[in-house]
Amino acid sequence: MSDLKFSEKGMKKYEWLLTRYPDKQAVLLPALRIAEAEFGELGIPEMKYVADLMGISPARVYGVVTFYTHFRRAGTGTFHIQVCSTLSCALRGSQELADHIAKRLGIEMGETTEDGMFSVSKVECLGSCDTAPMFQLNDNYHENLTLDDVDRIIEDCKKESARGGAR
Amino acid sequence: MSFRKIFTPHLGDPNCHTLEFYEKTGGYEGARKALRDWEPDALIDEVKASSLRGRGGAGFPTGVKWGFVPKQTDKLKYLAVNADESEPGTFKDRVLMERMPHQLIEGIIISCWAVGIHSAYIYIRGEYVHAYQRLVAACAEAYDKGILGSKVLGHDFHLDITVHRGAGAYICGEETGMLTSLEGERGQPKLKPPFPAIEGLFGCPTVVNNVETISNLPYIMEIGAEGYKKIGPESSPGPKLYCVSGHVEKPGTYELPMGVNLLELINDHCGGVWKGRKLKAVIPGGSSAHVLSADECDVAMDIESLAAAGSMLGSAGVIVMDDQTCMVNALLNVMKFYHHESCGQCTPCREGTGWLEKIVHRIAYGHGKLEDLDRIDTVCDRMVGKTICVLADAAAFPAWSFTQKFRDEFIHCIEHGGSPEVKRRHPDRIGGGLHV
Amino acid sequence: MSEATNPETPLVNWVLNGQPVQSPAGMTIFEAAKALETTIPNFCYHPGLTIAGNCRICMVESNRSKKPVISCSERIAEGLEIQTESPMAIEARNAVMEFQLINHPLDCPVCDKAGECDLQDYSYDHGPDRSRFDEEKNIRHTKELGPTIDIWGNRCIVCTRCVRFCDEISGTGELCVVERGDRSVVDVFPTVPIDNPLAGNVVDICPVGALISNDFKFEARIWNMRKTDSVCAGCARGCNVEVQSLDGFVKRLVPRENMEVNKWWMCDEGRYDYRYLLADERVTACTKDGEPVEDHDAHETLAHWLQDPGGTLGILVDPYITCEEAFLVEQIASHANNALVGGWKPADGTAQSFPGQFTISGEKAPNRLGVEAVLGKLVFGSQGHALRTALEKGQVSTLIVFAGFPHPDPDDAWVQAIRKAKRRAVFALQAGAWTEGAGLVIPGASPFEKDGTYANEDGRLQRVRSFHAPGDVEWSHDLQRLQAVLRIAGLRPRSLSSSAVFRELADVKKPFHGLSHSTLPATGAPLPGFIPLPVGVEGGSV
Repeated sequence: MSDLKFSEKGMKKYEWLLTRYPDKQAVLLPALRIAEAEFGELGIPEMKYVADLMGISPARVYGVVTFYTHFRRAGTGTFHIQVCSTLSCALRGSQELADHIAKRLGIEMGETTEDGMFSVSKVECLGSCDTAPMFQLNDNYHENLTLDDVDRIIEDCKKESARGGAR
Repeated sequence: MSFRKIFTPHLGDPNCHTLEFYEKTGGYEGARKALRDWEPDALIDEVKASSLRGRGGAGFPTGVKWGFVPKQTDKLKYLAVNADESEPGTFKDRVLMERMPHQLIEGIIISCWAVGIHSAYIYIRGEYVHAYQRLVAACAEAYDKGILGSKVLGHDFHLDITVHRGAGAYICGEETGMLTSLEGERGQPKLKPPFPAIEGLFGCPTVVNNVETISNLPYIMEIGAEGYKKIGPESSPGPKLYCVSGHVEKPGTYELPMGVNLLELINDHCGGVWKGRKLKAVIPGGSSAHVLSADECDVAMDIESLAAAGSMLGSAGVIVMDDQTCMVNALLNVMKFYHHESCGQCTPCREGTGWLEKIVHRIAYGHGKLEDLDRIDTVCDRMVGKTICVLADAAAFPAWSFTQKFRDEFIHCIEHGGSPEVKRRHPDRIGGGLHV
Repeated sequence: MSEATNPETPLVNWVLNGQPVQSPAGMTIFEAAKALETTIPNFCYHPGLTIAGNCRICMVESNRSKKPVISCSERIAEGLEIQTESPMAIEARNAVMEFQLINHPLDCPVCDKAGECDLQDYSYDHGPDRSRFDEEKNIRHTKELGPTIDIWGNRCIVCTRCVRFCDEISGTGELCVVERGDRSVVDVFPTVPIDNPLAGNVVDICPVGALISNDFKFEARIWNMRKTDSVCAGCARGCNVEVQSLDGFVKRLVPRENMEVNKWWMCDEGRYDYRYLLADERVTACTKDGEPVEDHDAHETLAHWLQDPGGTLGILVDPYITCEEAFLVEQIASHANNALVGGWKPADGTAQSFPGQFTISGEKAPNRLGVEAVLGKLVFGSQGHALRTALEKGQVSTLIVFAGFPHPDPDDAWVQAIRKAKRRAVFALQAGAWTEGAGLVIPGASPFEKDGTYANEDGRLQRVRSFHAPGDVEWSHDLQRLQAVLRIAGLRPRSLSSSAVFRELADVKKPFHGLSHSTLPATGAPLPGFIPLPVGVEGGSV
């Protein structure tokens, strides 16, 4: 149905992973990470591909993917801003930060901009409480944020996107 | 004996994460010593004698835990390093992995030699991308230099380390939840017994230790159990990383002897409560610990003292709240966390965490009733001790302690139409619907 | 189970509710208590599945723990003291019930599970009489999970029985729990519906009304239905079933536990195969030369035929007749001067085995072995062949055909052969090729309308019972019709119940010696001396 396929490099990594665990299913999370990196997101076809590749039931993969919150689900924007909103960050203004981002992007928490460039969501503790408030932008932590920092980071993303890059 | 920092002295150096730097500062000497001079059984006894206790939250004696692993078994044995640091207010393991990855690897070598393990997994939370990359790079260096692999440090001992990324689930910090997740499943805690030491990862005997716990081992090798025991209180000795966040001038990771006074930590090390304000409350050991009111904060930050004070050291995630903090809103934040993170397996936790959040939400948003406080109390009572793991308890403890110690504030919210902070932020939502 | 039945297992001394008791080592508290007739509530526990321990309703008080322990996973041990009715145990169950119900829609009045719902039942014992939950309830999906199964997610208590079933028993793994916390609910992968030969079982084992059978949805209230213990006739496995009917209509079949036969399960092929009872072609009245006649006229006609067959009497049986009916067939044959009895059976299908040690037999009829035990082990083999040859040569004057198969089977060779008999009486479930041109057509009873015994592929004799209430039957059992014919023909003094006929059978037929309906265990009994042969090998060695 779909012609998704790991790249040679991805497949090599997957095969190496198989040698690192005594049980094949243990490779599921790392394999999903490869899929995420190679395909950009984990939607229905991506999950199905991983399930078929590993010879496990698609339902099992689906249950696993939906259990965790850090996989890039289908429809996530190019730049995913995950604002830490747990207590330490909340005490130091994460709500203002989140409100500002939402206003700036013109979307609500949990939404993606129409152009698909930004998604923003509130997430639970990212383990960076001493640098509150902070968010994770794709893979990277941005810490001790002021509202000005946010504006600058969003502008940087837009510039990066204009240059054709992401992540 | 003056206190010597073992985790943080070199953090100022931008290269402290490299093998070169680590070896230059005496790195891997502890592992060499262990492999050269110590029989595994004697090494376990030495760690028992050091009274090293787990730094992940439960504070279980590390050597004793190792001793549970069967000596004679046909099965493989595993070490699963718990790097799924996700207790709110806790960020020490991230520092260790990002900045001192080789110290962790050295500790892993010592643990595995002691218990007879040839395969270790570091389960690191998915959000910690940078720390993951650092660990992967450090492992690559170590393999490259013969520190890991078929002949560890030139000894007839083989050891593999695999760094395994989680994907965003607090419950995977619970040891059996972590094992389930490592096995490629939904990270739901397993029934105990069997305990991991007997039947853990892939059905095999497994040691589960926290990053900071293991990072202590090279130092124990260096100064010996006797020396180690002299740091801090005898029952839970050692250097300790305290994570301080919230309303202090200088939040951060502080390495101090176990048992430092909490007020001293806040005032002397962290520059005191921010903006010159007064202290209102402190959560001393991650958000699942009972909150301490300001007058309870003159307490030593060690396992026994905090237990005696009715709270716990937990993960030593110290969250400081100033006198302008709305405790109803703070509890709502914590309840939202546990509701979000409950794995949903056990009925009392799945349903109870959501219920608690809804009740506190109602109080904060001006729909509270006085009987809600008793209801919180009894809902907690019905959650605690009735589930596979302790997430339900972890949700109940703050709910109990916040509503008990700051009852007046809750009653004020109930009687005056909600939390002042919510009123300020969402004047439109007060008295509105039940949900944000 | 094995611990309980193995006499070698050492006994453990423990205390249950203050009483010193002994149980075989290795049992869980739940199992041991059950064996001692102390029932502990349970949702997620199922004897056929791995232990999940997630519902927490089975918590009991233990002298070994400060906290209540779950009895489904904790095992008994020497000196263990368990309280199932202490304040701690009761409070623990009350707590779980309150939590189970807060987000539950409480829609029992429109729920198909009502009446057999564990949640509903336990709520009477342990649930609060009013809710303390003033909040909005969570909403989860209601949708189709597959062609036969819907989920009403708001009712789901995430016990994972159904997920474990698909992982462990059917081995098909279509189900999973998605999301987490109180958002979690059972689901399928978006492009892979649940569609396996055993899928229907997940509805049975759902302890609440979350998984609903499309086939049964809104069909009947559980408590209004008549429930009859019988045996599925779909294949030679002979799964034990409960036939549930209302006003003379079968509404659904559910499996009954029989560890020797089907454990707790049955296949969908058998489960949903009852609509033929109402097929348009169903023969509902006797006909003679194509014209409707009274039952008595038909019986009388057949009796006359038997008294004077005009040559060779042929009797063609099928593997749907009961052992008792087969015995009457033998009586008929034994009174004829020249009789040929042969059997016809449907073509074999493919046997299917599942990881949960459940099999669907390749032999697609319920009682070949039982019929062979009565009429001889070659009845479906060379005897059948002999009968057909005689028919084809026009040597059979009077032929009685049993065509009790639920689905018309155009076995052309037989259809052509039977037409060569000079006159033919057919006991038929459905009109079609087998009844066409027959002088007498008599309504046949379906397997669910028969009363008697079937022997499954292992040679296990099991009771089948008619789901009809006495008096609401328009077509009486073949057994009664045969006796009526025999009585009119003067070959039997009176009509008897199937149990009485079985007694006669057991007196004269060696494999049935010592057995009787009343002493036959609910799980059936092996025919003595029977050695099962693989499907397709002629003649089980009875």
